[in-house]
Amino acid sequence: MSYDADSTFVFAFPTRVIYGAGAVSESSLECDRLGMDKVVLVSDRVLAEKTDVVAQVRKALGRRVVLEFLDVPPDSSVAAVEAGAAKAQAAGATGVVSVGGGSVIDTAKGIAILLREGGSLRDHEGFQNLTRKAAPHVVLPTTAGTGSEVTYVAVIKDVEAHRKLLFGDYNILPDSAILDPLLTVGLPAHLTAATGMDALSHALEAMHSLQRQPIADGLALRAIHEVRAALPTCVKTPGDVAARGRQLVASTMAGAAFSNAQVGLVHAIAHTVGARFGVHHGLANSIAMPAVVRFNALACPDQYRQVAEAFGVDPSGSDEALADRLAGAIYAFAKSLGLPGGFKDVGVPREALGELAEATLFDGSVIYNARPVISAEEVLPVWEAAWQGEG
Amino acid sequence: MARFPSAEWVTLYQDAINGNPAYKVGGANWDKGVVALICKAKPDVGLEEDAGIWLDLHKGVCREARLVTSAEALKAPFCITGEYARWKQVIRKELDPITGMLQGKLRLKGDLPTIVRFVDASKALVESAGRVATEFPDD
Repeated sequence: MSYDADSTFVFAFPTRVIYGAGAVSESSLECDRLGMDKVVLVSDRVLAEKTDVVAQVRKALGRRVVLEFLDVPPDSSVAAVEAGAAKAQAAGATGVVSVGGGSVIDTAKGIAILLREGGSLRDHEGFQNLTRKAAPHVVLPTTAGTGSEVTYVAVIKDVEAHRKLLFGDYNILPDSAILDPLLTVGLPAHLTAATGMDALSHALEAMHSLQRQPIADGLALRAIHEVRAALPTCVKTPGDVAARGRQLVASTMAGAAFSNAQVGLVHAIAHTVGARFGVHHGLANSIAMPAVVRFNALACPDQYRQVAEAFGVDPSGSDEALADRLAGAIYAFAKSLGLPGGFKDVGVPREALGELAEATLFDGSVIYNARPVISAEEVLPVWEAAWQGEG
Repeated sequence: MARFPSAEWVTLYQDAINGNPAYKVGGANWDKGVVALICKAKPDVGLEEDAGIWLDLHKGVCREARLVTSAEALKAPFCITGEYARWKQVIRKELDPITGMLQGKLRLKGDLPTIVRFVDASKALVESAGRVATEFPDD
């Protein structure tokens, strides 16, 4: 494992992680520890009305819940964050507990900003722009892929301005992540697979990022190993708590890895196709990975040898042969989980690829991709391969 | 030789930007407005108050550069804030500003993807700063 002589890095991981089947019962103790005596419980209506997950957390938190805010859309929005924050302030909440997937957690991060800073969410857009910590925030993830419980990033849609606000700030890192695999057993198979592949993409991207670093590498490689071992079981045997737990921890490790090492072209593609055609983020990452690995083959062969070993792929042979084998293994893995292999299978028209290739260059993630992405012409073949779904 | 940060330094910086062909190319499509920089106060080196640098950048040209207050700088659509020691690292090319933002060494108010889309322009701005004969008050 080699790094440039002039490499520098910061590894920030202040979130306290509490793991265990039934760990939801720890949420009250964590709130005590953080001085959160009045909290807003943030979740979504599907979880609240079709599962008992929110009820479990509410029961554990008891009277400290002064407000339940469940109006979180599938893509977090400025309006939702500001409405939630206004209600939480009116109810006297001083802290946030979030229960859900990426959109819920990002919404809660936004509410935590506004509980501390006030004003409009747009006032605080930026990178490391906050000068003090957001309101305390305890996260209970119900999917095992986003890693948002340990990341310094939140993405929130500004519907009026037709763009997404990007927040990257150590001050929004959650204080506690309570990883209870029992909260994930009800996740349907297709979402288990897609969100699980999201975790794999975080680990892969942390490894081939230009900002990669040894601590993140360690987490990423372990996460890759765990996803390979656990995710198929989670999909085929949803009630396997041990497998659910391994996947959940892998997601958190991958989240911590990419939060420090950044992501690359896979995410640039996923963000682009998600914004334009609404393709699920984890699924889009899953589809993009093989094509990007082949694209990066000569740029980061040492990293891909390590990824291959962690993913159970023979790491020998030429750089291109190795990348091809790794890409094929990722593709086969996704297919074995029942996921589509190409963007053509999820409603993306071929004639849109040129436009998508152009738009990819406007995503901040591309600058950290192992192989520099300079022009749309250069990235178009990656889109074509991902559209076709080449194993 | 101009002291950083000062009005004289800012004037020389504007000249350096406009004399840098790499910025002319890299920033040719920049029409996103003013980029401001804030250097946080450091009284022990004589910098008693935050210093803002207002750069009116448009299509590869720096139309105006002036020293402003931090309150004024914060009105710009993009504002990068850092400690004095961080700016010294940037000017000496010891710290890439985009990496600095990601690592929490510099703070950005504004849309990061827009900034990184113009990564060549960002690099040229830093390179231009390095071309200014700079006197640091603590050297």
